[in-house]
Amino acid sequence: MVFSFIFLPLVIAACLPLIGKISKKLIPDVLTNATLAFLLINSILLIKPIFSRGSLLQNINWFGENVNLQIALDGFNLFMLFTISLVSLCITLFSIDYLKHYGHQANFYALLLVMVAGMNGLVLVPDLFSIYLFLEVAAVASYALVAFGLGPEELEASFKYLMLSVVASAFVLLSITMIFGLTGSLSFQAVARDLQDLNASLVLGVCLAFFIMGFGLKAALVPFHAWLPDAHPSAPAPISAMLSGLLIKVSGVYALFRIVYSVIGMTPVLSKVLMAMGAISIVVAALLALGQADIKRMLAYSSISQVGYIILALAIGTPLGIAGGLFHLFNHAVAKGLLFLNSGSIQHITGTRNLNELGGLGKKVPVTAGTNLVGALSIAGVPPLAGFWSKLIIIIALVQANHFGYALVAVLASILTLWYYLLIQRKAFFGPLNDRWQHIKEAPFWMSAANVILALLCLLVGIFFSPIFKTWIAPAADALARGVQQVLMWGI
Amino acid sequence: MMATTLLWPIIFPAVMALILFLLPSRIKLIREVLAVLSSIVILYLGFSLFSLKNLTLNVDWLGMGINFDFRLYQFSAFILLALSGFLFLTTLYSTIKMKDHPRIREYYAYIFLAAAFSNGAVLANNFILLIFFWEALLITTYALITLGLKPTSHRTAVKSLIIGGLCDFSMIMGIGLVWASSGTLTMDAVHLEPHGLAAAAFILMMIGAIGKAGAMPFHTWIPDAALDAPVTFMAFMPASFEKLLGIYLLARISLDFFELKVGSAMAMVLLIIGAATIVLAVFMALIQKDLKKLLSFHAISQVGYMILGIGTAIPIGIAGGIFHMINHAMYKTGLFLSAGSVEHRTGTTELKKLGGLAREMPWTALGFSVCALAISGVWPLNGFVSKEMVFHGALETGYPIFAIAAWVGAIFTFASFLKAGHSVFFGARSTEVPKTRDSQWPIVLPILILAILCITFGVYNRLPLENFIQPILAGRAEPGEHLDFTAGALNLFTPVAGVSMLCLLIALGLHFYGWKRGGKKAYLASEPIHHLPVLKQLYDLSEARFFDIYEQGIKFLVWLSRVLFKFIDRPIDFIYEKVVVSIGRFFTGLFQKAHNGQYANYLAWTIGGLIVVLWVMLKLLQ
Amino acid sequence: MIIQILLLSGLVLFSILAILLKDLLKAALSLAVASLFLGIIFFRLGASYAGVFEISVVAGLITVLFALTVALTRKDSEVQEARLTRLVFPLFFVIFLIIDGLVMKSLLQQVPALPAGPETGTFGDVLWKARTFDLVAQLGVILAGVLAVLALFRKKEEDKDE
Repeated sequence: MVFSFIFLPLVIAACLPLIGKISKKLIPDVLTNATLAFLLINSILLIKPIFSRGSLLQNINWFGENVNLQIALDGFNLFMLFTISLVSLCITLFSIDYLKHYGHQANFYALLLVMVAGMNGLVLVPDLFSIYLFLEVAAVASYALVAFGLGPEELEASFKYLMLSVVASAFVLLSITMIFGLTGSLSFQAVARDLQDLNASLVLGVCLAFFIMGFGLKAALVPFHAWLPDAHPSAPAPISAMLSGLLIKVSGVYALFRIVYSVIGMTPVLSKVLMAMGAISIVVAALLALGQADIKRMLAYSSISQVGYIILALAIGTPLGIAGGLFHLFNHAVAKGLLFLNSGSIQHITGTRNLNELGGLGKKVPVTAGTNLVGALSIAGVPPLAGFWSKLIIIIALVQANHFGYALVAVLASILTLWYYLLIQRKAFFGPLNDRWQHIKEAPFWMSAANVILALLCLLVGIFFSPIFKTWIAPAADALARGVQQVLMWGI
Repeated sequence: MMATTLLWPIIFPAVMALILFLLPSRIKLIREVLAVLSSIVILYLGFSLFSLKNLTLNVDWLGMGINFDFRLYQFSAFILLALSGFLFLTTLYSTIKMKDHPRIREYYAYIFLAAAFSNGAVLANNFILLIFFWEALLITTYALITLGLKPTSHRTAVKSLIIGGLCDFSMIMGIGLVWASSGTLTMDAVHLEPHGLAAAAFILMMIGAIGKAGAMPFHTWIPDAALDAPVTFMAFMPASFEKLLGIYLLARISLDFFELKVGSAMAMVLLIIGAATIVLAVFMALIQKDLKKLLSFHAISQVGYMILGIGTAIPIGIAGGIFHMINHAMYKTGLFLSAGSVEHRTGTTELKKLGGLAREMPWTALGFSVCALAISGVWPLNGFVSKEMVFHGALETGYPIFAIAAWVGAIFTFASFLKAGHSVFFGARSTEVPKTRDSQWPIVLPILILAILCITFGVYNRLPLENFIQPILAGRAEPGEHLDFTAGALNLFTPVAGVSMLCLLIALGLHFYGWKRGGKKAYLASEPIHHLPVLKQLYDLSEARFFDIYEQGIKFLVWLSRVLFKFIDRPIDFIYEKVVVSIGRFFTGLFQKAHNGQYANYLAWTIGGLIVVLWVMLKLLQ
Repeated sequence: MIIQILLLSGLVLFSILAILLKDLLKAALSLAVASLFLGIIFFRLGASYAGVFEISVVAGLITVLFALTVALTRKDSEVQEARLTRLVFPLFFVIFLIIDGLVMKSLLQQVPALPAGPETGTFGDVLWKARTFDLVAQLGVILAGVLAVLALFRKKEEDKDE
């Protein structure tokens, strides 16, 4: 039941405000977490048919009449669905305790479920315009969620995010329109087929530039990144985790690369442009991260930098590069989700996010400190954690494709990444205990549990890297590497 | 024995590490007994695997040539045996020395984890596997240094991590190039000529190997760690494990992966690095006033001999380098352990405060003296044999400068150990330290074991040379030539040996002169050298960390970060002041708040970016 | 042709006015007029449904909402802005028009002819049958909007005081 990925969260979200009137906290908590757990199990169960058949198509029949609701599932989609469900589940677990700061759990969960539904929809539909629509669904929900705290800083950040996002969506829509004008249809398959016969490289170049700008803004690619360092810190911690861990990747990276690989086809020109932008993102954001005093701002810049890695790898075009990029996407979603949730824990425990005020927390709150360390080391690429493998594969892929300069950049930026993460560790957790924090206690159960689960994932994926790779990453990479053939194969 | 036995040296220490970590801190005796027993088990594993000589384990793992591939052969078996031996000695020693450490659980866990990772690195036959284990050692080193509990321990630990990380990344790049050149990731299938790309790969991997071993310029964390880390860590890692691993990799790089020719450019690089390390480090060692720091600089200096030996590319030189590796591990560990013994009883290792302890700590003094004579290359100890082999090789390269550098190093090595031994154990009894007695047997026994081994490996050098070293170089001899190093090993009456003895006498003279000049105080014996004209400036710069590339590198990066931030910040301000609204399409947000126009900024960047991308795409598509 | 150009320029002009005008109410009205122009353009191009939706939603609903908001808040109906904006923006707009014209001219010759695609049919067919998924997504957006309003305009009773 692949459609449940979209319908179930929407239906539950619609019911939640009413349920929220009856039970303020318990039922919304349980319901939301159960929904996401169900989706997670569903995504795992779908591995088998994908493995055996390569892709899955489903139609809905409405009272016998063939209503045109179609879903195409292949390795790439399934991988994204799995990532979305997994990280969202941990985030909602975290929210069980964290939302005490804000109240109105039912509203929050409803919006969050709509965002999840939007992301799932974006990932599943085989149609250009529907991608745009589901993009908007997720985006509207995210605007509201960023502003959820209703403080002046949050509202301002949300508004800026909204205004910039709207510009991006407008360009995406313009590009879709141009492609519709060229080919007369909007479904992936038809467009892929028609574009192959058409000789419209210049116009396609313009369309691609618009796509890069639009989806690049959503993915926070430099120079379209400026909204992220303001939006992510002001949002509540679980939302920062959702945005940084999932939304920018789904609505940015997935959408762009799905269109580039499966619909239009990767070309050397495009590869050059995307790789250059990815590399610029990596370096600029890493350097900017070094000077930050607010934990979440530093993490936000780090997200920009890591998305640069993902885009750099995906743009190489070789199967190994794609595999490395996708693996890094997964690892970053898990680890960055963990780090943002962790910053929420820190904020809950101490009330501040300023690194210069924290210090020596490691002794008092070992669980938070330990999970933070695991997440940081995973992103920095330290073995035996998961991030090491994905970064290694990316570097090997770069060398294999003879992009030695980029490989060097990737390696050097890794060191920078390690540095600023160690800075967080040192400033927040090690060192002498700042007197203000003498009486702090560990974070509440669900918050710590979510952190621990994600940290364990970082560790386990690093150690049992092979089965994860074979099950999830390899089919996804194959699906992309087949290029336009993938979509033509669907036979809708 | 089944192939999976190869996994035991890795899994067993890792499991023991976990168990030792989980035991509550108060159960001391059981922990100590368990640790020592486990190390004995690992040592037994090492012996039995060594007797087996050949075993491989190959499991398909990830495709694309990345396999779970382990290989036991003479060289790796030998290193494995050595690693387990040192693990045993260190563990025995630690039972007393680290007894009251507050984080004792972590200490044993890290030690055994490091052993597990090291065994994995030695046995690995696939480059990716090697990288995995090699990198993992960075974590255990970091953690062990922080256990020193000094205020600067953390900073030194980060320094070791960053320097190690840089060397490791260099090694990864080198491996990537090897893969590109040879198409395989299996270590024993690679054999390249070092030209062009392969030469670059050689240099990169070499950096990784010598960085782990602690050669210049990647050495700067070791002297810091000498003060900031526990002394048992110093004996464990920089003295033995890291040398064994680093030189093992360097030997494999020079012998197996790449065909190192005599006098080739790559060989010259090794020779120069080796010679420079020997000389520069020994000069630094000479003037040290703390015993542990002195020993750590010597550790760096002796690595130079090993690199020099391998760089000669001549069988006797290479054999000498590898033999020096194991010898050095033995006597340097012995020296660090005796320094630890002194620290244990007196609380300090500053040369100024110690003196005349030989009467009260006879066993420690004996062990120290034997090891000190060994490191100085005194006949007939093991240091003499390996150094002579290196000298022979260095002379045969045709560039006597390298041999001269090695001899200069020998002079000052002996001089500094005369100073050290004299200051700590002999001479007048210092008044600053209370009366004491020798350390307990778990501390003294390892030192004596190592001292005896030093003597054995020297006198009865057939044992190590034939069983360990010669098999490594098998097949490398010229046709017809018989590989035998033992014949003339102890021959004192050759020109080479004669020069070495002369060096020792010069050193004796220097020490005596300095001692007299310093008012009969042993620790001032090196001051005349210290205050020589050019040397004094260099020494001062060195103390100010001028030559420390890590420190300089940090300063540079901070500066760069600041500059780049300004370069991004100023243009944003520029656009804001002068070019407020959109350059391309149009939406000026009516957004009125304190940061007026900041949204417009972002939009300007966005639209600007779009225009750039558009232009680039169209340009490239034309 | 002339009418088309007039309508398009009117659209652009009133959109710019909507941004530049200082009085919020006048700005909202400009937006309504701009959308009116757009609606007429849609009608002329044969997209009657699009025209209807455009005019009713933007010129109708949204303008009413804006007017209500302005009336209810009433405080600063003047918006302060940097003086430079008023000078710089029109200048850049003119420059943009020139660049745009040149680019479009060269590009237009490169666009291949539009084929008649497979997705044709009456509006009803297209909306309900061919693009049903979009309806689902649209419902999702509306739901998100409703929830956003509920969330952002909630009464803050038991607050965040920890």
